[in-house]
Amino acid sequence: MTDFHIKIGSVEFMNPVFVASGTFGYGVEIPDLLDISKIGAIVTKSISLMPREGNPPPRIVETSSGMINSIGLANIGVEKYIEEMLPQYAQISTPIIANIVGWTFDEYLEVLRKLEAVSSNIIGYEINISCPNVKKGGMEFGTDPETVEKLTSLLRKATNRLLIMKLSPNVADIASIALSAERGGADAVSAINTVVGMSIDPYSHQSNIFTTFGGLSGPAIKPIGLAAVQKVYRKVSIPIVGIGGISSGNDVVEYMLAGASAVQVGTATFRHPDAANQIFDQLKTYCQTQNIQQISDLTGKVKLHS
Amino acid sequence: MIDQVCKVLSINPLAKDIWEMTFSADQLVKIYKGAGQFIEILGDKTWDHPLRRPMSISGITDSTMSIIFKVMGQMTSRFSSLKVNDEINVLGPLGNTFSHPSENETAILIGGGVGLAPIMNFLNELKSINNHVLTIIGARTKDEHHLDHDPCNGMYLTTDDGSIGDHGTVMPTLDRIINTVKYPKLYACGPEPMLKAVQQFGLTHDIPTELSVESYMGCGVGLCQGCVLKREGPDFAEDSYQKKYTVVCKDGPVYNAKEIHFD
Repeated sequence: MTDFHIKIGSVEFMNPVFVASGTFGYGVEIPDLLDISKIGAIVTKSISLMPREGNPPPRIVETSSGMINSIGLANIGVEKYIEEMLPQYAQISTPIIANIVGWTFDEYLEVLRKLEAVSSNIIGYEINISCPNVKKGGMEFGTDPETVEKLTSLLRKATNRLLIMKLSPNVADIASIALSAERGGADAVSAINTVVGMSIDPYSHQSNIFTTFGGLSGPAIKPIGLAAVQKVYRKVSIPIVGIGGISSGNDVVEYMLAGASAVQVGTATFRHPDAANQIFDQLKTYCQTQNIQQISDLTGKVKLHS
Repeated sequence: MIDQVCKVLSINPLAKDIWEMTFSADQLVKIYKGAGQFIEILGDKTWDHPLRRPMSISGITDSTMSIIFKVMGQMTSRFSSLKVNDEINVLGPLGNTFSHPSENETAILIGGGVGLAPIMNFLNELKSINNHVLTIIGARTKDEHHLDHDPCNGMYLTTDDGSIGDHGTVMPTLDRIINTVKYPKLYACGPEPMLKAVQQFGLTHDIPTELSVESYMGCGVGLCQGCVLKREGPDFAEDSYQKKYTVVCKDGPVYNAKEIHFD
């Protein structure tokens, strides 16, 4: 029997397969065909200070081995989230990680403070830093190491709960951003968010996404995610949550070998709502046939040619 | 909803580029709510085409479901080459249903192109409970029709080129037959220009109207929020939520014509 427990910060999870932000709602509006109690953790869609309608359609388009989305962080806002969603978590045994987004330091901090001010069984926070910083000329929060360190330490001071910074792949050096998060006091980093992409209809000549650019996800970005995780693993000592194109048990193994302690399943859920459970089942089979005693033993154990 | 591996029981061309497929669906039919609902088919076991394809349910028995689809691209072309006994992964039934006309209302069903799928389903549903129904099915030309023009039995076909049925779009026919009905209720599914025209007609004449809309979809179960459509209304504040947009897979695909806004 394999031990699937993994630890991030001081939190222990029953299994390393989580569902990614933006692919599972708030964790409560779940299709009835699905047993969420087996999922390692649910990361909510990004929650902002004010409600957001999101972007006009078209918001999504299929691409080779992936899809591009530009939903625009549509969400109910932190106050409604506290009022309507938090109470429902009392019925759920699955750990909930609230994903937070903001456009200024203050906004991030205020969302977090509001969540900290009420009693809930949220287990921690994942911070979406792939947003333009309105006070810094629209440059993404996640692209500047200093900004990331400052934001992380601000949030760190405001919570003792698990704090995970979610890294954008759309940067020159993702490892240095991860290092900033570590210095700022993050318990972990998750990598990667979606990759900037574009899609065009060759007949109508029109962009297939209203906002022109969107976030590419799915197996198309798995190699990018793996490389990012390995680069980050070499630079920091905090745990890494691997994300990007995970659609099978073997994909989980690859991410763990590259350095991840846990993973998040995203786009695969859009094909099969039950994907996270199916992937965990495949991981169990893998561990059985490969005689893996402890899943966490895989982390960072990739064999390199040297 | 559930996802079920279904066996293809029959697959036949109905008209030019339009196919009908029937598959085993013993689990799906148990939780089916009514005409208007759709399914999502995963057509590709590899990730070349990651997203499922939404398809309106065109017919149902106690153990099977049928869809009518048009060959538009690679995926639908692949569906058309499926053979009897092939397996498909079906997620469903999804979305809401048409609401039945009240006792004194007469349903006028309007289908355009492949939009006839949920319309045929609803027609059979209403007929099975002895409702008097008028149906208008529009297409560009005769080759795209598979039904008979049969006004005596309430079935009107229209073609843009006049090659069968009434000459023109569905609108002149609707305009003509509306006067034969005391309390009409309109139901439409088809291309956006047709839906817009029916919406306008319903609003202008103050006739209750339900539209089944099409949308590019991701998950089909409300998780990805990709398939939104604008709601009708004043300019909504940016800091509202789901007042400006409705999620078609979850809130729809059937809407009161007053609710939605086509650009």
